[in-house]
Amino acid sequence: MQNAKRVVALLAAATLATGSLVACGNDSGSSEGDAKGKVYFLNWKPESEETYKAIAKEYTEATGVEVKVQTAASGTYEQTLKSEVTKSSAPTLFQINGPVGLKSWQAYAADLSDAAFTKDLTDPGLALKGEDGKVYGVPLAVEGYGIIYNNAIMEKYFATAGAKATSMDEINGFDKLKEVADDMQAKKAELGIDGVFASTSLATGEGWRWQTHLMNLPVHFEYADDNVTDKDVITFKYNNEYKNLFDLYLTDSTVEKTLTPSKTVTDSMAEFATGKAAMVQNGNWAWSQIKDVEGNTVQEADIKFLPMYGGFPGEDKMGIAVGTEAFMAVNAKASEADQKATIDFVNWLFSDEKGKQHVTEELGFIAPFKSFGEAAPSDPLAKEIARYLSSDLTPVPWDFTTFPSQAFKDNLEQLLAQYASGNVSWDELVKSVNETWASEKAAVNG
Amino acid sequence: MERSLKKYFPLFVLPTSVAFVIAFLAPFVIGLYLSFADFTTIVDAEFIGLENYQKALGEKDGFIASFGFTILVVVASVITVNLFAFAIAKLLTQKLAGTNAFRTIFFMPNLIGGIVLGYTWQSIINAILAQYGTTIVSKWEYGFVGLIVLINWQQVGYMMVIYIAGLQNVPPELTEAAAIDGAGRWQVLRNVTIPMIMPTITICLFLTLSGSFKLFDQNLALTNGAPLRKTEMVALNIFNTMFGRVGTEGVGQAKAVIFVIVVVVIALLQLNMTRSREVEA
Amino acid sequence: MSQPSVKRNPAGVVATYILLLALTAVFLGPILFIVLNSFKQKFAISSNPFAVPLGDMWAGVSNYVTGLSRQGFLGAIGWSFFITITSVAVIVFLCAMLAYYITRVKRWWTSLIYYLLVFSMVIPFQMVMFPTVKLADMLGLANPLGMVVLYLGFGAGLSTFIFSGFVKSIPVEVEEAAYMDGCSPVQSYFQIVWPILKPVSITVAILNAMWIWNDYLLPYLVIGLSTEYKTIPVVVQQFVGSNGNRDMGAMMAMLVLAIIPIIVFYMFAQKHIIEGVVAGSVKG
Repeated sequence: MQNAKRVVALLAAATLATGSLVACGNDSGSSEGDAKGKVYFLNWKPESEETYKAIAKEYTEATGVEVKVQTAASGTYEQTLKSEVTKSSAPTLFQINGPVGLKSWQAYAADLSDAAFTKDLTDPGLALKGEDGKVYGVPLAVEGYGIIYNNAIMEKYFATAGAKATSMDEINGFDKLKEVADDMQAKKAELGIDGVFASTSLATGEGWRWQTHLMNLPVHFEYADDNVTDKDVITFKYNNEYKNLFDLYLTDSTVEKTLTPSKTVTDSMAEFATGKAAMVQNGNWAWSQIKDVEGNTVQEADIKFLPMYGGFPGEDKMGIAVGTEAFMAVNAKASEADQKATIDFVNWLFSDEKGKQHVTEELGFIAPFKSFGEAAPSDPLAKEIARYLSSDLTPVPWDFTTFPSQAFKDNLEQLLAQYASGNVSWDELVKSVNETWASEKAAVNG
Repeated sequence: MERSLKKYFPLFVLPTSVAFVIAFLAPFVIGLYLSFADFTTIVDAEFIGLENYQKALGEKDGFIASFGFTILVVVASVITVNLFAFAIAKLLTQKLAGTNAFRTIFFMPNLIGGIVLGYTWQSIINAILAQYGTTIVSKWEYGFVGLIVLINWQQVGYMMVIYIAGLQNVPPELTEAAAIDGAGRWQVLRNVTIPMIMPTITICLFLTLSGSFKLFDQNLALTNGAPLRKTEMVALNIFNTMFGRVGTEGVGQAKAVIFVIVVVVIALLQLNMTRSREVEA
Repeated sequence: MSQPSVKRNPAGVVATYILLLALTAVFLGPILFIVLNSFKQKFAISSNPFAVPLGDMWAGVSNYVTGLSRQGFLGAIGWSFFITITSVAVIVFLCAMLAYYITRVKRWWTSLIYYLLVFSMVIPFQMVMFPTVKLADMLGLANPLGMVVLYLGFGAGLSTFIFSGFVKSIPVEVEEAAYMDGCSPVQSYFQIVWPILKPVSITVAILNAMWIWNDYLLPYLVIGLSTEYKTIPVVVQQFVGSNGNRDMGAMMAMLVLAIIPIIVFYMFAQKHIIEGVVAGSVKG
């Protein structure tokens, strides 16, 4: 009997051990039913991570609603979202990159047609709609990108003997841009720079400025020629124009082009911020990266945008690229309470005075909502976007939201790195771009 | 006694078995089924027959190519790791003072995990290549050599320890006797030492083989398959297929099944070899 | 071990030592590299990777401050310790018992358990990765204690295999004598067998500890990024892999911090670790 008791005790201990695990699992399950709901935001902009975390903390302190912010590594958003979304503690707020993204995530995107922030959009056409006409994604921000230049260095150049131009106004096409850039590169010692263009970041996951933003231009002009908004097969007819600008970035650069596959966006922005480069292709979100670099020498008033000239048709009338990419979506499979908490959080962020302040001042978003009125970020790049939008230049829309997949972009990035290293010819690159575009479109369209 | 022990099944067997079923057995069976299905989570699977396998073996997918690269890595690393490990073990069994300290140092890298190791070597290799104006992801050959260097750095110490244990079990009388009979050092090595430690060699060959065949963390951290997925090994290819995008989960699972078959065949071969060697010895 | 043999050629001995010292440099070099760079200003790391951080390049502990403040690295150290220690304790305790049972109770189903466990050792993780992760999530195991259950499941193969090899070598007569004296099988296991299993327990503990501490994929997939329970490899990958914001200085500091616990552990348990590896490999 004595022994039997011991066994019972041991067994009890063993079941207690396993029992407590189960109880633990249930705990996390039941807290989800908490009437307040929780917000879990999977962010895709590493540069905004700290700001989002601060906002989340403030919101939690004010309302008691838990807001969790996690950031996916650059270029791995889809992968991270995928492994996170099927979990019981899945993101409640995530981002979809346009119509192609919606195809993948349709099942997880809640109908936002009636959300207050959707109704608050300045232009209802900005919302991401599904095939059924309902709104599944709402843009966070209108953003713009182009070639950012440091006007102080440009002025210094225009003052040099034999300068190929006397002011930025004269640069209104690729030929002039190349002439000026080549001459500046030759005079780099005199100008105190390492190169005209900051290094072309082609490290893995770092090439989005080229595989997405620069690639947008040839695709846009190809669509425009055919008067379409999407294509299952492209010819990449403007590949030479792409090459013009890309080669210029590589040659008139701060670094040897063979080194570019190790360069990151951070390296690139640091070179620009410290005055080692006069130009860098990036968007208004890069302001925080320019501002926060130690040893920053560039003056706020000197930071300007130039359109991305590559010899495209009618480019003298072309502005910078302005659009929306990241659409907020609410996880349809999250609990009711969590969905509601998430929508409340977004409403707060884009309508509460404090929330709005974070959006314009810290995130630097040009928010496309009526409640913002004239409130716009005061950073130089955001002001530049406003300047371009009010000029008579035609902005380039963001057609890259129709790019087939992340795999397509990754492939282009790697091809560009191989091209820069001299291992892949331009013709091979073009061929592979066309092939992967077609095969990825086919895969995505099912 | 056996009979009365048998009653204690719930205490002795149940806890581990339950964990084993949750972690391995059930997932294994589900995984087999899923390889014939189209699914995004395990509850929405639809049977689709062999389609996943056809796609997995399709040329475009890069699975076959990843096998090729994996074999290259396996061959190169098995040879180099074992040669170095054996040579160092030989040096450290010469009854020199301080061999224990050396053994301790050489073994240490083995304790560092694949992710940390991968990034450590990535930064070193890029620092070296930057002197020549290039980087590890510029050419697949760099990534390949980098991977071999990394595997060696990690595994040589481990194999060395096993070789040392093997060498210490060779009776010194045998080698001395051979030396007295006029055999040169090379002959002693070839005709006495190596045959004596054949079981050890088999173990080490198999350990390095299975270790580099299933390599994942190091591959992910060092190059993540760049450039153009040319340095993508099988495990990484499967991972990317399963989690890299929506809609190819089944293909990834089919690849995993193929991978399992290959690994099991290798394991059976090894088992066979060990057995026959043991009989010979 | 340390007695130089009489016949040895002194030049040969010197050459051997030079070779060994060169190898030491090769084995320690990479660690020295990241330690040096962890004290360097982040831009000096790319421009002067091999320099000793002096003068302008010296960054003090600023990289460590950044590294520790990011992504919950401190928390990750704690969770890594918790998951590793708990899992290892559970694995050793339960697998020894399982091994004892299936070795002593000869039935078709105990052999079946044994062969299934051996089979699981061979199978690559990729095979079960997807279903395991989803199953674990459905069962509420996406937390540190759940990880212990999963590690027990995955670790059972090798651990039980090693234990049962050892149990086979224990003469059954001792236990039978104890049983005759009125001990229950449970008592005789804990009083007689368990103490004999101590040395092999250390082997099993070490092999499992090395694996669990360094494991990346399972915690990444099961626990994921959404919780505060991230382990060190997960945080390192998330931070270093998130290229968009890569800070080389903080990365170096994180790598060093990730290595330190292992080296400390190694210094204290060096002898056991090496013996454990040998024993484990011979059995495996």
